[in-house]
Amino acid sequence: MTATIDKKFADPRDTQAFRFTACDFDAASGTASLAYAFDDGPLLTERVVFPDAPALPAERADAFAQALRLLHLVAGVSYYKAGIPPELRVETGALATDTAGFLHELYFHGLAEFAYQNKLDLTERLRFSTLVRHSREGGNDEKKAPALNLPRRTLLPIGGGKDSLVSVEMCKSIDEPATAVWIGDSALIAACAERSGLPLLNIKRQIAPALFEYNRQGAWNGHVPVTAINSAILVCAAILYGYDAIAFSNERSASSATLEYLGRQINHQWSKSLDFERLLRAQVHAHVAADLDYFSLLRPWSELAVAREFAKHPQYDAVFSSCNRNFRILGEHPSDRWCGQCPKCHFVFLALAPFVAKPRLLRIFGRNLLDDAALAPGFDALLEYRDHKPFECVGEGGESRAAMYALTQRAEWREDALVARFLNEILPQLDRAALALEPLLAPTGEHFLPTRFTSLPNAPL
Amino acid sequence: MSVNAAPLTGANWVVLKFGGTSVSTRPRWDKIAAIAKGKRAQGKHVLIVVSALSGTTDKLKAICDGHADAGKCRAVADEIVARHRAMFAELELTDAGGIDAWLAKLDQLLADPRRAQGALTWQAEVLALGEMMSSTLGAQYLSASGLTTNWLDSRQHLLSEALPNQSAWGRYLSAQVPTARDEALIARLPSLGETFITQGFMARNAAGETVILGRGGSDTSASYFGALLDAEIVEIWTDVAGMFSANPRSVPNARLLSRLDYEEAQEIATTGAKVLHPRCINPVREAGVPLTIKDTNYPEFAGTEICAAVADALPSVKAISQRTGITLISMESIGMWQQVGFLADVFEIFKRHGLSIDLVGTAETNVTVSLDPSENLVNTDVLSALCTDLAGICRVKVIAPCAAITLVGRGMRSMLHKFSTVLAEFGSLRVHLISQSSNNLNLTFVVDESAATDLVPQLHDLLIKAEAMRVEDAAVFGPSWVDLYKKPQLQSAPWWRARREDLLALAAKATPHYVYDLASVRAQAQALRGTIQAVDRWFYAIKANSHPAILREIAAQGFGLECVSPGEIAHVRGIFGAAVDILYTPNFCSRTDYAAGIAAGARITVDNLHPLEHWGDLFAGRDIELRLDLDFTRGHHDKVKTGGAGSKFGLALGEVDEFLHLAERHNARIVGLHAHLGSGILDAKHWKEVFAHHASIAEKIGTVASLNVGGGYGVPARADEAPLDLEAVAAGLAEVKAAYPQFELWSEPGRFLVADAGVLLARVNQLKRKGEFRYLGVDAGMHTLIRPALYEAYHEIVNLSRIDEPATELVQVVGPICESGDVLGNHRRLARTQEGDVILIAQAGAYGAVMSSDYNLRGRAAETVL
Repeated sequence: MTATIDKKFADPRDTQAFRFTACDFDAASGTASLAYAFDDGPLLTERVVFPDAPALPAERADAFAQALRLLHLVAGVSYYKAGIPPELRVETGALATDTAGFLHELYFHGLAEFAYQNKLDLTERLRFSTLVRHSREGGNDEKKAPALNLPRRTLLPIGGGKDSLVSVEMCKSIDEPATAVWIGDSALIAACAERSGLPLLNIKRQIAPALFEYNRQGAWNGHVPVTAINSAILVCAAILYGYDAIAFSNERSASSATLEYLGRQINHQWSKSLDFERLLRAQVHAHVAADLDYFSLLRPWSELAVAREFAKHPQYDAVFSSCNRNFRILGEHPSDRWCGQCPKCHFVFLALAPFVAKPRLLRIFGRNLLDDAALAPGFDALLEYRDHKPFECVGEGGESRAAMYALTQRAEWREDALVARFLNEILPQLDRAALALEPLLAPTGEHFLPTRFTSLPNAPL
Repeated sequence: MSVNAAPLTGANWVVLKFGGTSVSTRPRWDKIAAIAKGKRAQGKHVLIVVSALSGTTDKLKAICDGHADAGKCRAVADEIVARHRAMFAELELTDAGGIDAWLAKLDQLLADPRRAQGALTWQAEVLALGEMMSSTLGAQYLSASGLTTNWLDSRQHLLSEALPNQSAWGRYLSAQVPTARDEALIARLPSLGETFITQGFMARNAAGETVILGRGGSDTSASYFGALLDAEIVEIWTDVAGMFSANPRSVPNARLLSRLDYEEAQEIATTGAKVLHPRCINPVREAGVPLTIKDTNYPEFAGTEICAAVADALPSVKAISQRTGITLISMESIGMWQQVGFLADVFEIFKRHGLSIDLVGTAETNVTVSLDPSENLVNTDVLSALCTDLAGICRVKVIAPCAAITLVGRGMRSMLHKFSTVLAEFGSLRVHLISQSSNNLNLTFVVDESAATDLVPQLHDLLIKAEAMRVEDAAVFGPSWVDLYKKPQLQSAPWWRARREDLLALAAKATPHYVYDLASVRAQAQALRGTIQAVDRWFYAIKANSHPAILREIAAQGFGLECVSPGEIAHVRGIFGAAVDILYTPNFCSRTDYAAGIAAGARITVDNLHPLEHWGDLFAGRDIELRLDLDFTRGHHDKVKTGGAGSKFGLALGEVDEFLHLAERHNARIVGLHAHLGSGILDAKHWKEVFAHHASIAEKIGTVASLNVGGGYGVPARADEAPLDLEAVAAGLAEVKAAYPQFELWSEPGRFLVADAGVLLARVNQLKRKGEFRYLGVDAGMHTLIRPALYEAYHEIVNLSRIDEPATELVQVVGPICESGDVLGNHRRLARTQEGDVILIAQAGAYGAVMSSDYNLRGRAAETVL
């Protein structure tokens, strides 16, 4: 498959430098090409295809170039991690101080789980700061991008899970003009997007084939902050197609750490956290467009509040899936969409249980995960009982405990194996006062919701 | 029913019912006209009962559900108006007065003050409009087509009666009509005309208000009219030929049920068949009117006839069905032992919540009942409320989601002895409840829904094999769904028919004798490669047949060869030298066996921790394939299932991490994953699922470049088995390949390539008659072909010497080995046979000669390649 590449693949872990070599955009085909390399090895070229890309208005050309550069820098994280060589080289121009800082945060926190799993220390290696341009004004990077008068409408990324579908319904409830957008080929996401009734946009992303070859040579493997990459793609899309808002669907719990290791917080969902949201907003406003809003619509809410909201929209029951191992196939049976074994399946089941009629929930999943004693360790991890929260996008331990406690109060759930176990073994060790469901459902905390979304029912004041 | 009155002559009624799709286009109305004219030509009086145009009732229901939102109601109403105006135009009718009146009625109902509250009387009137409009258009069109048709308001003739305890909703929207022969109607109607059209789905109540019959209502209307008119027959014209022995969507070989009695039909309709609503059977049963189901598109198909009793039918399971979404409620008494009234208390609570119980199982301190899925159960909190009340008197546990698998047939209790293989299938499942209906018509097993997938096709097959479902009984069983609806496939005659003379000549030289047809091997190889293009690399599992000529043919088609022993590797290297790619997949082999494979330059597959733990140095610096057990099995017999904990093949998924550590420690690179989960698989989704499971595991390993989905491509053995749909296999694999473009896709068929290419010729030694059995003894036996004895495999058997003579004798085809299991075929029908005749055993190209033995020192069969 690599016959056209004559350069030799080496084990990327033995290389010296990771290079951001070039990025460009072919307007005719709507294709962005992002190129990287390890040392002088074969180019790793990722392509992102924006379908039916309109001609870019002249007044947005600069902004788009900036957005594309940002995407190039962000998307490099997937390739960098294959080797994490000691040197970083950005060959597309020097970095602004704030951008270097942003990249350091992104690569450091976004790869924290990867580093933990592979027992690596990135502190010494990530030196984006050395790539900063030496500006004559004495390092003053207080730049502000101009406003572009972008059309008032929202790009709403769809993931196939419950969260983005709740955002869809929120937008519909306040007549916000929104487009459901997704990245990649997933029949499941396409089906969810279709059912949303919103206009659709499917952006294609092709990972550099050379990465697979590097993997075979023995690259490092592990989690990458994919939401950051998708966010950067959507910043490009917003400028290209004309949207003034990008509304992700990350809840409050996405900001909390999965575990602490060597004194550092490790958060599996770091690129879904408020910290990342704040950093990317700053980059967009400083370098791309002052009037492009990047935010999470669900930030003020807990996973449980979102689950309660989702329960009101049964039209998605037969198509949605939050499972990370659903094999990307849209199958006819629930077991095609929900593996029943992974933390996502466990958490979504538990979070929906207090709000969805039991027969409906069991129909969605095709089985009763809470009546399977073999799954006790998985649910224990969610409850943070004798284990840390799993490395997945799941709610906080307190939410899981509150949901489980609520089920112990329900006759139709109480005798199920894992609910009974919670009642007998775990509950006696907990403070019941901290287990109330209701306080977890109220909006709270910091968020970046634009004013036009504050008319949502139950929106934070 | 009147006993004394003789049927009136001169008015022999036929009731024809047509559903929504049958009344939605002009060509369909032409079919209705043709069918009705046919009945008229036979001198029958005809009453046509129609449903609303497709989708109309749903729209009217949307108006009822959204009654509070006037704007929304108007928008939906506009769609209904447009649809009916378009239908009017399509039928080229001229007088719009009739349809306009009903559309005006729709406007009126939208403006009706009852709308705001969604009053039930208002809803019933709204819902009734669909049939009013379709029957009005139909009356005009049929009359214009030369069949003078009178429009009849069905509400004039069907009078509903409220049941005790029936809710207001039920009285208006799920009403029931008691029916008996209506002498007045029978006397009056013929004076008005010969052909009539009326509406399904509705009736009137004692107060003269419109009421709706609810789900399946139009069929029920036809049934009611059949009873009122004491019709000769009620014909339900629909989109399928009738009731089948299983749902044809999952069991394409399901057989049409030509004739059923009312009770069996009702049972089948209740336990799964969707074609007929169960409630429409009772009225015709009480009136003794036969009811048939017919396919509007294929009026020539016989359909299903439901009548009083089927004479001379063999006792048989008629159908197997599966219902999913079943909820079991298990209630453990917490009161006293043999507490009086416990059951009454429990049932009272179910009644209070309006839940009707289906199955019941009781024990001294426990009662478990089942609830069918209903909108109410899924979309409201009724289960929670029920359990809360039940918890006051017992410990309650909800077991769900379950599937109920039901066998239906009259006299179930007298057939139990035939169910041993069927019951064995339930061995690995958790059976929560078994219920044998007190009317002796059904036997139901309730299991976890997730475990029931694909169970029904298997059980259907087993029921036929066990002769519990007597599909050979033509009085009851018609053709299979595939035979009726699949485009006739060009089932070319097997190659050996054309080569009969050559084969007889070879048999004259030696028997037993294996003969192989290389052209068939080539054709199969090309069919696989040409159809399943997503596969990047093919291997042939040579254990199926390692004859050098066959290996050369398959290698020439671009296949690598898969070997499982040093012997096989030596055999291949002996023929090809180094010029062929070898995949080496040994199982529980010795260290030296691995060393031999490595020395021969084969790709090495490991499927256990032991080799890496103890012989790690062997694999140091090498690429290896890892064979996994994906923990689900497919295959046509226990002994060819190669997945699951009970199988010795493959690494358990739970040991993958340990394997990775060992591989890393020994610097062995895992470049491929491999699974082969069974043989004879006819489910086209299988390979796609294996690839997807593999891919999700391979993504975490990193070094994996290829995923081998194994083989197991099924070859149908019996004439009534549908061949594997290679196009569907290809489409599924293309889909998953697109989702995981980074992995090469490998596959390794064996039997598929060679099974049909080989036949075994044997000569008749002796004939014997013993009791009811006739034995036909040949010189081939289990030492020549062990598949029938080992796998209970079915091989077609013919008398090649007398191939054109009718197959009249039922025989056991047996071999000369001193083993009672030495049977090549049970209950085969062959031409009258004599000593010295040549018998051909088909599909012997795979696992034939390679598995033969010297048992009884009878020697091996000859082998010849054509």
